Amino acid sequence: MTHLTMDELLALDEPGLEPAGARAKAHLEECDACRGEYERLRQRQARLRALPTLRPGRDQWPVVAKRLAAERRRRLVQRAAMGISALAAAVLLAVALRTRAPARDADAAAAEAQIADLMQRSQALEAAIGATHSDQRVVDGRTVRVATDLEARIADLDKMLEVQELDAAPGRGDMQRVQLWRERVGLLNALVDVHVTNARNVGL
Amino acid sequence: MESYPLANAESVVARARSGDPAAFEALYRAFESPVYNLARRICRTTEDAEDVLQETFFEVCRSIGQFRADGSLWGWIRTIAASKAFMRLRRNKYRDTDALPDEVPSVRREDTALRMDLEAALERLGETSRAVVWLHDVEGYTHEEIAGMMGRTASFSKSQLARAHARLRTWLGEESIG
Repeated sequence: MTHLTMDELLALDEPGLEPAGARAKAHLEECDACRGEYERLRQRQARLRALPTLRPGRDQWPVVAKRLAAERRRRLVQRAAMGISALAAAVLLAVALRTRAPARDADAAAAEAQIADLMQRSQALEAAIGATHSDQRVVDGRTVRVATDLEARIADLDKMLEVQELDAAPGRGDMQRVQLWRERVGLLNALVDVHVTNARNVGL
Repeated sequence: MESYPLANAESVVARARSGDPAAFEALYRAFESPVYNLARRICRTTEDAEDVLQETFFEVCRSIGQFRADGSLWGWIRTIAASKAFMRLRRNKYRDTDALPDEVPSVRREDTALRMDLEAALERLGETSRAVVWLHDVEGYTHEEIAGMMGRTASFSKSQLARAHARLRTWLGEESIG
């Protein structure tokens, strides 16, 4: 019998030895040359497994965190756009019904109008951040930390807003929502400042 | 098969599922090195490996809700990483050094100066062969699993592995059957 090929030597370790594999195994027991070759193959595989773990030269987490925050912002803008449409319809409905319960509806309508205004300002600020192309720009570590912190705080606010929108009964908690949206606009303003300053510093 | 246990894995995954940025970072810190190592062993350059590292964790954080709690977290992350690495290879369409002529000058045992070390020999393999060698021999994937990731057949994976070992044997100056 001729010596085993590399294919046949490798197949010896595969599960489910076929008849051809059984013949190869029988040959291996009789042939010193093939046994030597098989042993070298096993040693080579062991050496491969023992190669040192390669590590990245730079910390890539800030880049990943930034992309995640950008994705979160994009989703939020989409949600906000849908929310504004729904809100506009709600405001129209409130105006139409105002004659039936003037005092309470007037407060609710005023709150909704404020929220609609704050949502639009949020959208404009998010668009301004998008226009700085911060995702593709070189940023220093401090800027990344400040931006990441602001984005995390915005994400926390978004969670609170979600809870408010899901749990609040119609007409209740409006002032809390107004307050949360105000805080959101404030944080977005700060984030715009961070990105604009960074863009200025890198001369773009 | 190597595993990378994460302390409080269940709690970290649960927090990540609720969108906690600190939990995302904890996942990254726990698996950064093995993911980069896998990516670097498959990709040609450190830049590509870093991109794969980023892409992998972006995907991990976005898709953590799809991870089955009864599965291996490292196994799930590793499959994403390998898939991203193959996408990178396809995108780059590097000239595969598998196309190197088979008649690479044979290295005699006494020519120690010409012998490569294993790292250099592995690096010299074509990307496809190197990926198959790494995933099969080191990470423990079966040929069927590798074929699934590459969009090829198990036979293709087997033949790539055999060719790669034949080359490694030559480049490492190991004695061949006479």
